[in-house]
Amino acid sequence: MSLMQRPSLVGANVQRVNDPRLLTGEGRFVDDINLPGMVHASILRSYLPAGRIESFEAGSNAEAWVLGPDQIAAATREIPCVWIAPGQQQLSNPVASRALRYVGQPFAIAVAGSRAEAEDVAESVAVQIEPLESVGDARDALMPGAPLVYQEAASNLAVEFSIGDTSEELDAVFAAAPHVIERTFRIPRIVPSPMETRGLIASWNPGSSELTVWMSTQTPHHVRDHIALCLGLRADQVRVIAGDVGGGFGSKEHVYADEVMVCLAAMTLKRPVKWIEDRLEHFTATFHGRDAYHHARLAVDHDGTFLAIQSTITGNVGAHLSNVGTGPFRVSSIMLPGPYRFAKVGTRITAAFTNTTPTGAYRGFGMQEAAWVRERLVEEAARVLGKSPVELRDQNMFRSDELPVMTRTFQEYDSGDYRRALRLVADRIAAYRPPASEPRIRRGVGLATHVEFTGLGPSASQDFVGFRLGGYETTVVRMEPDGSVFVSSGVMGMGQGIETTLAQLVAENLGVPIERVRVQLGDTASAPYSAAGSIASRSITVGGGAAVMAASHLRDKLLRIAGHQLEISPADLELVAGEVRVKGETRPALDLEHLVTRSWLGLDLPDGESPDLEHKSVHDPKNIAYPYATHGAAVSVDLDTGQVTVDAYWVAHDSGVVVNPSIVDGQIMGGVAQGLGIALFEKMIYGPEGDPRSTTFMDYLLPLSSNLPRFTLDHFETPAPHIPGGMKGIGEGGTIVAPPTIANAIAAAVPEIADQLVETPLNASRLWTLMHEAGLHDD
Amino acid sequence: MTDVQQFSCTVNGLQVSTAVDTRTSAADFLRQELGLTGTHVSCEQGVCGSCTILVDDAAVRSCLLLAMQLHGAVVETVESLGGLDELSTLQQTFSAEHGLQCGFCTPGILMTVEAAKRAGTSAVAVVDELLPGHLCRCTGYDNIRKAVQVYLSPEA
Repeated sequence: MSLMQRPSLVGANVQRVNDPRLLTGEGRFVDDINLPGMVHASILRSYLPAGRIESFEAGSNAEAWVLGPDQIAAATREIPCVWIAPGQQQLSNPVASRALRYVGQPFAIAVAGSRAEAEDVAESVAVQIEPLESVGDARDALMPGAPLVYQEAASNLAVEFSIGDTSEELDAVFAAAPHVIERTFRIPRIVPSPMETRGLIASWNPGSSELTVWMSTQTPHHVRDHIALCLGLRADQVRVIAGDVGGGFGSKEHVYADEVMVCLAAMTLKRPVKWIEDRLEHFTATFHGRDAYHHARLAVDHDGTFLAIQSTITGNVGAHLSNVGTGPFRVSSIMLPGPYRFAKVGTRITAAFTNTTPTGAYRGFGMQEAAWVRERLVEEAARVLGKSPVELRDQNMFRSDELPVMTRTFQEYDSGDYRRALRLVADRIAAYRPPASEPRIRRGVGLATHVEFTGLGPSASQDFVGFRLGGYETTVVRMEPDGSVFVSSGVMGMGQGIETTLAQLVAENLGVPIERVRVQLGDTASAPYSAAGSIASRSITVGGGAAVMAASHLRDKLLRIAGHQLEISPADLELVAGEVRVKGETRPALDLEHLVTRSWLGLDLPDGESPDLEHKSVHDPKNIAYPYATHGAAVSVDLDTGQVTVDAYWVAHDSGVVVNPSIVDGQIMGGVAQGLGIALFEKMIYGPEGDPRSTTFMDYLLPLSSNLPRFTLDHFETPAPHIPGGMKGIGEGGTIVAPPTIANAIAAAVPEIADQLVETPLNASRLWTLMHEAGLHDD
Repeated sequence: MTDVQQFSCTVNGLQVSTAVDTRTSAADFLRQELGLTGTHVSCEQGVCGSCTILVDDAAVRSCLLLAMQLHGAVVETVESLGGLDELSTLQQTFSAEHGLQCGFCTPGILMTVEAAKRAGTSAVAVVDELLPGHLCRCTGYDNIRKAVQVYLSPEA
């Protein structure tokens, strides 16, 4: 029946809808927008890690305008924290204050006719800051006598709590275990570094009492809610519009204090105000990712069975708890077990305030740290026990027939075949032929594996862990009177291609050509409410699930109307390629355009059927969706320079149903690139007193094309059983598991230093030093 | 402090004669005075390559040039390559190979590849020597390399 077969839009490499405008310079990023009468802002920031503003004098300049810390504080309410840990005392943070706690902290705003003039004005402000003692490192900050980030506090302890099995239970397992692998890992700070920095334009309309904010953001509604709260407006008075967003990676998932200042300036001046973050600001004013010590241990039985894994985490939250606060350390804990069986799992989290930029969300959110700790420990266990790293993993992995399974950290892994991904990469590594040998170059291959927490998440679960953001998404699908299809969703595009994949899901499930579908995102005035927005690899899983639901419901309604008009059971009809057909036939049974026109006129409808051809579906998933992957890498290590070259890279992954393979591959490769950056190059360096030392792309190195190998990607598709459409998230996996993959390959190449591979980046200087200390240089 | 100077150049085939504040960068001039917002500014210190334009056929960082330095030059930006309904082969190739995600760095990369094409630079040389002069945070570069390869050596 070849006539019945038609290519599905789900699984097709549909060209991305936003490519043409991005390739022709017709994109609309926030800095591309200019409004009549618009003025420009420059933010005044602390240049000291700690201090107190003793005096602030703006001087007099008729063409310029400055708001100081006291005025801003008086005119605003504090920005709330949204992820609250047990016992967390700090629940919000001021928009501006005279108390300065990190370099980059905003405390005032200057506005003038151009950006350059605004910077001139900012420089002309006379600010006297009394320096205070400061501390940059979390462990230093927790030492007795350390300088206090909050002078009124007894210590720099921000929050402390435990997850999983108790330390007594864990101690008992470790005391009796035949083998214990124990290491202290250091996960440094990462600067998210989207190529487009943050930025916004705020415009106040006094007549309608409305504030319109064009912003580069991943979470328009969340930003709207907090702007309204901080400025004492009602939510309906604030409209946030996000256009093209030049990458986010977690850094644009809430409103920042400097952004609230810009809104306040626009309201005060009654003129549109633009502020575009510069790159230097991005390095200190945009929240960082990571920054934790993990003192971790793995207990292994005689036969290689894993018994327990435990980590004592010392996390650096920076100068104040960010909107997500200790969330990354919590996620590190709950995902620590990965794909393996453990009898006991537990962590202790101690989070410290320091005089550094607050830490928040960045691609991989806690899971990159968990994978680093676990997969290095497992690799070390294989080396110490003389076992194959593949066999040791295989022996301890959940088998597919064990799923679904509840872990010791209360994650109910859903579906898939973890061992299949492991075996496939192992086979690809076995078939690999490394480059010809050279005397002072070592070759090594390694792999690492993980299960990932994506598609945040059931709202009840989020509430349970103190994350005060609803976990649902809503999608609206409307067939307009002319038969075109409008889709609106609360998730946000930032380069990942969600506009295209949502269109594919709607076209497929509604039964219309994709050319007829238009997806609109990012405008709080038209998009359905989204509490969490596009974070946590949730857009396709939660928002896409809602799109599948809404499109299917609208299709069913159209078929009910058609059935009524044709006097045929709707069950005998289908909607295919924009045509209503009797099943099994290839010609339309009626004119759909006519049906649509008549329906919007309120005519020819079955009893009780409303005339609108619009359906809104709310999708609150029953569970997290858990994709998984094994990655493999082949590396060359130059013994004399410490330089690492990644020669080959393999990925076997399962993110459930793949909507657009090309986009999924792009997410994986881009994710691996950021993971390779973590593995080999990236580290935001602070001095012991919190002085930032890597604040440009010349001293904070991003991976270049020349650092990235060719990829070999293998996909499996085990649908998420609880997600309409079956998709699992794909945004972060590459970043999560690439660092231990590369480190394990380096360990195989240079086993003399394997036990020292506990800290990233494994750059030339670190590796050369380790190899030198291991006696690998003749001198 | 402003010091306004007169200058003229050709931008995307049109003669421009205007006055600018002397401290205005070429990137800001193109974006703010001419409304050519396809040229993107990301690091403002010549590292990332997002703002790359063609000046007399050479790919240059427009954030490191003053607008005044364009005097007498033939300037081309991404807007010159091909319009929404008539993408050039280069643009089509980047889309077909999924060589862009957020698209912020893309115009600069396109201009570098365009300059290389005119200069007869090989695909290998572009990939090995020119592409590492551009930062892309989204793609992992592999698809960009494929697009360059397909565009410059379609028969390979």
